Amino acid sequence: MRSLNRRTFLRGAFGTAVALPTLDIMLNSHGTAWASGGTICKRFFVGFGGHALGADGDTLHNEVVPVATGPGYDLRRATATLANHGNVASEISIISGLRIPYNTGGGIPAGGWDSDFHIQALGPLLSGVRNNASDDYGVNGPTADQIVAEAIGQDTLFPSLAYQVQAAWYLTASAPYGRDVISYRQEDNNIIAMPGQSSPRVAYDTLFTSFVPPDDEDAAIKASELLKRQSVIDLVRADYQRLIPQLGTVDRQRMQRHLDEIRDLEKLLDATGPAQGEICQLLPDPGDDPAIGGANEDSNGAGFDVNKGWSDEDRRARLFSDLVHMAFACDMSRSVAMLYTMAQSHMNSGSYTGLAFDQHEVSHAYQGTGYVSDVVAWHYDHFGYLVAKLRDTPEGAGSLLDNCALVMMNEGGHGYDPGSGDDTTAHSTENMCCLTAGRAGGMVAGEHIVADGYHPVNVLNSAMKAVGVETDLGEVVGTIPGLI
Amino acid sequence: MRMWLFGALLLLFSCKGSVEYAEAPEGVGISGVRRLSADEYDRTIRDLLHDESSPARTALPADVIDPFDNDFTQQEPTAILVTGVEALANDVASRFVADSARRSLVVGCTLPAPDDAVCLHKFIVEFGRRAIRRPLTLDEIDPLMALGTLFATSEGDFWEGIDVVLRVFLQHPEFIYRVEKGTRTAEEGVYRLDDFEVATRLSYFVWGTTPDDRLLDMAEAGLLRDSAMIGRIASEMLEDPRALERTDRFHAMWMGYWALPHDPDLTAAMRLETRRLLEEVIYIEQSSWLDVFTMNGTWIDDDLAGHYDLQPPGSDEPMWVRYDGTTRQGILSHGSFLSVAGKFGDTSPTQRGKLIRTRLMCQPVAPPPPDVNVDEPPEDPTSDCKFDAYASHRVVGTSCKDCHDALDPVGFGLENYDQAGVYREHDNDHPECTIAGDGDVDGATFNGPAGLADILIESETITDCVVQQMYRFAMGHEAQDIDRPLVTSLAQRFPASGYRFDQLMLDLITDPTFQYRREETP
Repeated sequence: MRSLNRRTFLRGAFGTAVALPTLDIMLNSHGTAWASGGTICKRFFVGFGGHALGADGDTLHNEVVPVATGPGYDLRRATATLANHGNVASEISIISGLRIPYNTGGGIPAGGWDSDFHIQALGPLLSGVRNNASDDYGVNGPTADQIVAEAIGQDTLFPSLAYQVQAAWYLTASAPYGRDVISYRQEDNNIIAMPGQSSPRVAYDTLFTSFVPPDDEDAAIKASELLKRQSVIDLVRADYQRLIPQLGTVDRQRMQRHLDEIRDLEKLLDATGPAQGEICQLLPDPGDDPAIGGANEDSNGAGFDVNKGWSDEDRRARLFSDLVHMAFACDMSRSVAMLYTMAQSHMNSGSYTGLAFDQHEVSHAYQGTGYVSDVVAWHYDHFGYLVAKLRDTPEGAGSLLDNCALVMMNEGGHGYDPGSGDDTTAHSTENMCCLTAGRAGGMVAGEHIVADGYHPVNVLNSAMKAVGVETDLGEVVGTIPGLI
Repeated sequence: MRMWLFGALLLLFSCKGSVEYAEAPEGVGISGVRRLSADEYDRTIRDLLHDESSPARTALPADVIDPFDNDFTQQEPTAILVTGVEALANDVASRFVADSARRSLVVGCTLPAPDDAVCLHKFIVEFGRRAIRRPLTLDEIDPLMALGTLFATSEGDFWEGIDVVLRVFLQHPEFIYRVEKGTRTAEEGVYRLDDFEVATRLSYFVWGTTPDDRLLDMAEAGLLRDSAMIGRIASEMLEDPRALERTDRFHAMWMGYWALPHDPDLTAAMRLETRRLLEEVIYIEQSSWLDVFTMNGTWIDDDLAGHYDLQPPGSDEPMWVRYDGTTRQGILSHGSFLSVAGKFGDTSPTQRGKLIRTRLMCQPVAPPPPDVNVDEPPEDPTSDCKFDAYASHRVVGTSCKDCHDALDPVGFGLENYDQAGVYREHDNDHPECTIAGDGDVDGATFNGPAGLADILIESETITDCVVQQMYRFAMGHEAQDIDRPLVTSLAQRFPASGYRFDQLMLDLITDPTFQYRREETP
């Protein structure tokens, strides 16, 4: 069985008329990227947390921003978890003083939002493009990970990867409506959402499709399964190709998108895996996904069951981080978008705040910025874990992290909300921060950089520049001074 | 004879210069390629493969529920969808071929040799027709035979061949999607469906699952081209238990009680209660659908009666219990409906008002203005009573007033029923806050579910609205301008049938437009 070549056997088996289109895509180019030239590629990562930095009613904006500027900054309640990963703070820069502009009565500013914080501020944060009207809740431009994927990822197995740690929306009688997506690509004049994979199991199977297990018997089983899948997808693709021309315009577009995704899957099934060795290796099987926790009716109180709203996101975050690490180490992908928690996240915060509130409610229940800092710290802990793994992985003369540019951003800051007019709210894009890591393109690591009045997208612009993509995202021009 | 026909056709073509297309009926509705919802996928493989594991609801990205789960205009083919479809196909197929009981039910063929081409061919032709809901062409059969034979013979196991063939079917575009092509008509963009497309439309509408062999046989015999015949077939289909499942699902998604915030036992009991009512009215008595809203009792067991504080029927099985001496009446007093639309750990008169306006009356409700924090309960600094707190929504001169005037008074009419449908005299934990339970819909006052039901019926809003919702559920999209004449015509026919819900479905099915589709315009 293993010696069969499906393209010859299908032609041979019944003599004629099998009519399989030629497969001309053999993905060997990511391998040659290593062999030829020897330049080591750069990798880009955007992480997102659906939380603010401070609490409603508290005058303390956050416990992220260090007192000191420059290197060797002090850790506070929100950044304390970085210490869980050795001295990883020396690899992580904190960019403070950021803000996203909003409508102050004179119209929606470039790269800004109107007045409805959740959802409306998300588009400008992710794409650098303003809301186009007061009732516009969409994302109006491609996101940084997709632009980078287009520029430097096309020869890899996965030009872009999107993962989603928070496993479900967790609130009954409501739906995310875009609050669960942080990656968008542009196709002609359409902005298309790229939702993340939320199953570590499926993500693992997909990422390691082309890997050969070390055990001979396992390898034989896997090769046989892969051959099946390749043979099946050949016919499935042909079925779509036959059908699409028979459809009307709108149906044709819809089905063409499905076919495009099938082609990507087909490429993946046909790809030769990266060379495995000390660093690039098949990770242990993660087993079944942690069970999906139920949804709560409310964010706290009687409608909030402390046993719901949680699907072991700690384990999910670790599994996805390990996959990102390996995707980078094996050069299977150069651009990753990781949603840790959804915008306006209704995930149960109990395990990291000790409160019987969902994450969103922690900011709004007048419990103080300290508890919100615990929310921030949970996210930074997982980000720190990933950065440490990259730091501890040798590449070239240094580490894998040296060739990465990572940005960890979150939904909001703390302060003035144009919607309510309040000065101390979590529905604010004042006093925002980003973390960055990696030294690709000379990015500065381990420093606290004050960038008063800059947009979080200026941080993304800096990280894009670091991986060689010199473009401004959306309407936001330029990089953060001192970061690159 | 044949030559003569050929000549006549030639004449027709040459005289007109183009093909003569058949006329299409007025008012054909829009229809596009529709992906099976996770629920439809699971029901489909249950019927095709006896697979009861409902794998799609976890393996496929969640369907958008707004309020139904089958709106094709919201279905985006993403990478995670395609990855999920493939993983699901691999999983479903490998579990199937490992299960000898299900194999023999679906495939037959005892102890087939690896190269049993007859059995493989039979499976491809017969199962293939079920899976993609039309007969396969020879061009389609050959590659599947080649694929199946190769894997079966090289592995020395017939079922390896079935495995790969099944995987192809489970990813086939005409399995994953309901594709309607049809033939052109004289009206631009309107197509007449073929028999199999009608069978599929019928089956997913009435049963929520794939057509069975009998229906496909009728399609193959060309019996699905005449409205009267289609109506007779549909009437028989309505006697199948799957029709009740589908009707139950329609009502549950429409009224929002498809997911309830209670423990599994109470949830199941409430769902059973409402399902029993729908079964009685629509399928057993085939009486007026308005009875769903006017029944002066309900079918409940001792446990649920105890929960509602009604007279227990003295049975572990659901029995008829009258509502005498209460303001209960029909489905609006069921725990299922009353459990929907809570907020802040209690009933929300605002959310209940919105539910009634948007779902039962089909009226749009604007979202709250941006300067409102909807995450905070309303408050009155001088009173702990909910009624007073909600009055802050309606202070003259605020941006909240207009909408809340239309919402809160509707919800307060149900306020004597808590979030699990239990009657109460006062606010939770506040005995001093007596609940009046007085409601108001556009000037018509009521108190409790009975009064609200009467108003909705009297004003005909509920009957007009359910027709719109049923159309949306059937066609997989909200009615556009071009769909409206048909919706209006169905609403006009509803009273003539004595408001029979089965007849409403049949009216849509037997309307000439049911055999046609209108292409979406970009």
